[in-house]
Amino acid sequence: MSRLYGDPIEVWTRDGEPTQFVWRDRLYLVRNVLDHWVVAREWWKTGEGDPGERRFWRVEASPGREVGSYELRYDTAGNGWLLLRAWD
Amino acid sequence: MAPPFPHLHVASAYSMRYGTAFPRALVDRASEHGMDILALTDRDGLYGAVKHVQACADAGIAPVVGVNLALDVPASTPAPGLRPPRPRTGPGAEDRVTVLARAGGWSRLCRLVTAAHAAGERGAPKVTRELLGAWAGPQGGDHGFGAEDGLVVLLGPRSDVGRAIAERRDEHARTLLGLWRAAVPGVVIELVDQYGFRDATTAVRMLGLAESAGVPAVLTNAARYLDPADHQVGDVLDAARQLVPLHPRHLERTTSHAYLKSTKEMWQVAAKVCGADRERVARLLFTTRRLAEACSMDPLRLLALRNDPPDLNLPEIGRDPVPLLRNRVEDGLVRRGLDRSRQARERLRAELDVIERKRLSGYFIAVAGITDMIRGMDIRCAIRGSGAGSLVNYLIGIGEVNPLEHGLLMERFLSEGRVGLPDIDVDVESARRLDCYKAIFERYGEARVACVSMMETYRARSAIRDVAGAMGLPPHEIDAIAKAFPHIRARQITASLADLPELRESRLGEAGLDRVFRLAERLDGLPRHIALHPCGVLVGNSGLRDRTPVERSLLEFPMSQFDKDDVEEAGLLKLDVLGVRMQSAMAYALSEVKRVDDIEVRLDEQTGDDPGVEYVPHDDQETYDMICASRTLGCFQIESPGQRELVAKLEPRRMHDLIVDISLFRPGPVNSDMVTPYLEARHGWRQPYYPHERLREALKETHGVVVFHEQVLKVISVMTGRDLSFAETLRRTLDTPAGRERVRKAFVPLARANGFGDAAVERAWKVLDAFGAFGFCKAHAAAFALPTYQSAWLKRHHAAAFFAGVLTHEPGMYPSRVIIDEARQCGVEILPLDVNGSGKDWRVERLGPRPPLRLRVSPSELGEERRPVRQEFRIGEIGRGYALRVPFSAIKGVSEAEVERMVAGQPYTSLADFWDRARPSRPTIERIVQVGGLDALHGLRPGGPRWRPGELTRRDLIAQVGALERASSIGVRSAAPRSRRYTAAAPRPRAEQPSTQLPLGFGEHLPPGELPEMTETEMVEAELEILGIDVSRHVISFHDELLDALGVVRSKDLLAQRNGAEVLVAGVKVATQTPAVRSGQRVIFTTLDDSTGPIDLTFFESVQGRCAATVFGSWLMLARGVVRRTGARAVSMRAVDCWNLTDLDALWRAEGVEAVRALLDQAPEQSQGVGGRKIEYANGFRLSPYSDLGPAIAAPPRQLWHASPGSSGPTAA
Repeated sequence: MSRLYGDPIEVWTRDGEPTQFVWRDRLYLVRNVLDHWVVAREWWKTGEGDPGERRFWRVEASPGREVGSYELRYDTAGNGWLLLRAWD
Repeated sequence: MAPPFPHLHVASAYSMRYGTAFPRALVDRASEHGMDILALTDRDGLYGAVKHVQACADAGIAPVVGVNLALDVPASTPAPGLRPPRPRTGPGAEDRVTVLARAGGWSRLCRLVTAAHAAGERGAPKVTRELLGAWAGPQGGDHGFGAEDGLVVLLGPRSDVGRAIAERRDEHARTLLGLWRAAVPGVVIELVDQYGFRDATTAVRMLGLAESAGVPAVLTNAARYLDPADHQVGDVLDAARQLVPLHPRHLERTTSHAYLKSTKEMWQVAAKVCGADRERVARLLFTTRRLAEACSMDPLRLLALRNDPPDLNLPEIGRDPVPLLRNRVEDGLVRRGLDRSRQARERLRAELDVIERKRLSGYFIAVAGITDMIRGMDIRCAIRGSGAGSLVNYLIGIGEVNPLEHGLLMERFLSEGRVGLPDIDVDVESARRLDCYKAIFERYGEARVACVSMMETYRARSAIRDVAGAMGLPPHEIDAIAKAFPHIRARQITASLADLPELRESRLGEAGLDRVFRLAERLDGLPRHIALHPCGVLVGNSGLRDRTPVERSLLEFPMSQFDKDDVEEAGLLKLDVLGVRMQSAMAYALSEVKRVDDIEVRLDEQTGDDPGVEYVPHDDQETYDMICASRTLGCFQIESPGQRELVAKLEPRRMHDLIVDISLFRPGPVNSDMVTPYLEARHGWRQPYYPHERLREALKETHGVVVFHEQVLKVISVMTGRDLSFAETLRRTLDTPAGRERVRKAFVPLARANGFGDAAVERAWKVLDAFGAFGFCKAHAAAFALPTYQSAWLKRHHAAAFFAGVLTHEPGMYPSRVIIDEARQCGVEILPLDVNGSGKDWRVERLGPRPPLRLRVSPSELGEERRPVRQEFRIGEIGRGYALRVPFSAIKGVSEAEVERMVAGQPYTSLADFWDRARPSRPTIERIVQVGGLDALHGLRPGGPRWRPGELTRRDLIAQVGALERASSIGVRSAAPRSRRYTAAAPRPRAEQPSTQLPLGFGEHLPPGELPEMTETEMVEAELEILGIDVSRHVISFHDELLDALGVVRSKDLLAQRNGAEVLVAGVKVATQTPAVRSGQRVIFTTLDDSTGPIDLTFFESVQGRCAATVFGSWLMLARGVVRRTGARAVSMRAVDCWNLTDLDALWRAEGVEAVRALLDQAPEQSQGVGGRKIEYANGFRLSPYSDLGPAIAAPPRQLWHASPGSSGPTAA
């Protein structure tokens, strides 16, 4: 079972791919990217400008020895990362 | 370094309402990415294929062509209830496959697309596995791609196999793949990952399927954008295509990744799909590359014209066409009486030389066969365009213009140096154009001929409609917004909101529609749908369908998917058969002359011996008198305000003058300011100017002014000493500034070497430079001048029949009521609708005895002293003795079947008889009564006192209609009652007509005169609303009192005004034009009609700020203007201010004439004029970006003036 979060996190990337992130004061190293997809926003419902898109990453990452799966989301318009779910 | 990635699945803008980028832009982008192969796989057709291959050839990229087609899936799914029903919109609505042609597979691809269109509904082609199998080529081949000349099917995530995989039905997918492989030799799995949710998963599983089944797998990006930012446009197109508002479930995409990615980006996609497995990545990219190479075609296979010699698709004649054409022209020489002319023989030799060297003899034979056939069907047919310059065309009867007589050159039509194909254009009667097409298809068979298509593209109005619709705006608002814009390009929308006074006043720019407008601008020029080209017909051989895909047009004609440029590039010969309304109008006029007066008029013959026939000589001075008096309303080409002004100044007296007139009325001559010098030299006010004595011969016919393309050729030829073919090559280069510089570099040294001095060369060059590429081909003008003269001749000598033709076929720019008014001024009476007298179309009625047949003698045959004294031209005489009858078809809302019944049942004895036998719908019969269709039958005389007890009135009749309908619907009829409204009921034989008990007298329920008669105002209102024309009285006459009080000048009195006088004029607005003019201003030309003649007003930009809205928006207008004499018998006016007459009338009724005067005397407020940057040409010619708008005619109001309590109108008794 996964648990839903939605916490803002800090992420380090290489070539756009997350390599490590800090969540609840712990540093997680990304071991493997399981899946990555993008969802465009419904631009016609927003005001002016391009609302951008949301990039989702499902990764295997470990804060120490135990490995868990996590879903991260990057919002191009807001330029911010969230941790959405965790399977740990 | 790895080889560049080839995109094999790319949709361009020619995927209608799907793609966003044009082929050339895609090719340029691929070229920037360093790619060496690019495919174009548009949806549903090969509309962009030629343009793609052209762009690839220019960029040095190997082209691949293909198509993306929908699969025809049986409606019922094998396991009902297990799978959700297919959605009606969005990507799930249909399965699609992409088909690529192998290097030699173009013909099969064409045939497949044609078959797919034949199998599906119009505009929605469908294929099945079996159909694909039938065209995919033989078994075998290399690498699983099928044969060298075959087709390869790409099964991507949108295919049935891909969908089964996405639904996790692996076994089903495997079965489907097996079926595909059994049907088609070349089957490939296509992997796409556009970063959507589950895209990668599906791609990975499809790769697994391919590997386990041993099918090659390739990677594409299913591209439809150039840049990621285009996805908003794509979303709007998705919504517009499916007629739904924007919503994620309707959209094809979830991400913006469907753009033309670079090799590096595609490599990342490959890595994503294959995981970290480098070997798999390499294999996937290698297979993709190998398929691309197997499908790369030689551009010259498609671009037949770039081959040397061009690879043409010539019609089959059955035997060697060369001697056949030679025999035909020899016969022609004799028939045209030219067999002894040395000049003709020399010219012929030169022409045949070029034709035979270009191997075009068969084309000429085929075209002559077609024009013979058209004339054989008794359809008027005339050559137009540069083809008139060819003697061969004249001799074999394609055209009736003798090029030797007018000094026309063949080189403008066909020459050694000219790349491209000759283009013969013929005009036929518009009403019978489709008959011509049918006959051509019947004779040559559908395999050999096809119509040419054209792309309808997004312009301002259509773009706003589609975007606003997608954004979910209410339909009536969309309509109002779209209609506020003139016919401009979509990309001008935002600029026009600020530039055009009428849009500034509408305040649309402040309505919060910015996003709609911005998106609409981005749709600019994108193809919307394909339509039948108005005239092009491909004439080829049985291999035609190997070269072009063919679909059905709306009218079921086979139509090539190529437009006219593509067709030429692909080496297909075409003939333009253009429907010209004037030809129909003249044909109708001739038939009316024959019917009414029993005179046969042979328009195309100048002399003859048959006494029962009227011939039409080209030197009829009575006709020229009429033209010089500027009474050319209704005539071909010379009826616009500008032309009426020009003919008055030019005073044409022979055919050549008309040719010059038509050529002068073009942007080119206007630009080079040739009109004034020409007129001055023509009237002898100035010496003709020749740049050099040796150019006198070439320029003499136009008094030293360069008017025609042909003269440019002669000037170049004389100056450089080279032949006309060479001159034609130079002339064609003159149309760009860079081209002119190149020509200058070639021209100047050649002319100097030819012995001309520096000054003379400089002078000659100035002429050529100014002439640029504007101006007019004399052959075009000569071809136009003939119907122009013929129409003027008909107007002069058979005015009533001429107007009947013009009113029936509406060839011109003016609404019917203007033509009617002109007819009235010519002495023709206009008779109201009459159920016993009217026909289907406008009919001529003779009022007196038949006039004696005029014997025409050519003036040159008479001695000087016997020449008839020229009488002063009197317009009111030319139509005297004849009348025109309003037809049934003019009634608003009448159906064709009703008209046929009404005509078939004539004569009628009463309203009841008409109701019973003609069976019109109730609204139709009420309208007929309202406009007096039964007045004659029942002796009604409307007008005068409204109450007249004991006398039948129109309103009584209308009430009677109600009684009749009730009587026939309560079962008196033996047949069951049925709806009679606008249905085309099958005509029943007369004998079976049920006997009906209908009230024959009118006294039983309604005593005559119980209801009031219509007043004159009401009559005219009814006529305008129902017929669109004021038959009984001119509308302006209701305002006479006010106009007289204000001292308004009438059209007929304008001539007596002094030049420069400022006067008031008024009338019904009948035409508005904004043509391109020299100064680069947007100038509005408006014509008012005040029952005594037309008044031409010019609104310059300085007054448009306050006038534009009134000019475009009102129907009755009062204007203040300055009189400008334009010729001996013509004036036009420069407008200073204008008002809506209806508003003034209301003011007058409410507050009196002083209030109106005060309003008119108010100093006009200053407001901003027209904005927008002028389009400037290199030689100083400036053009307003808003010129050439469509006509803006406001509809007549439902009531002639604002009704206000207390004012009952001036005619109320």
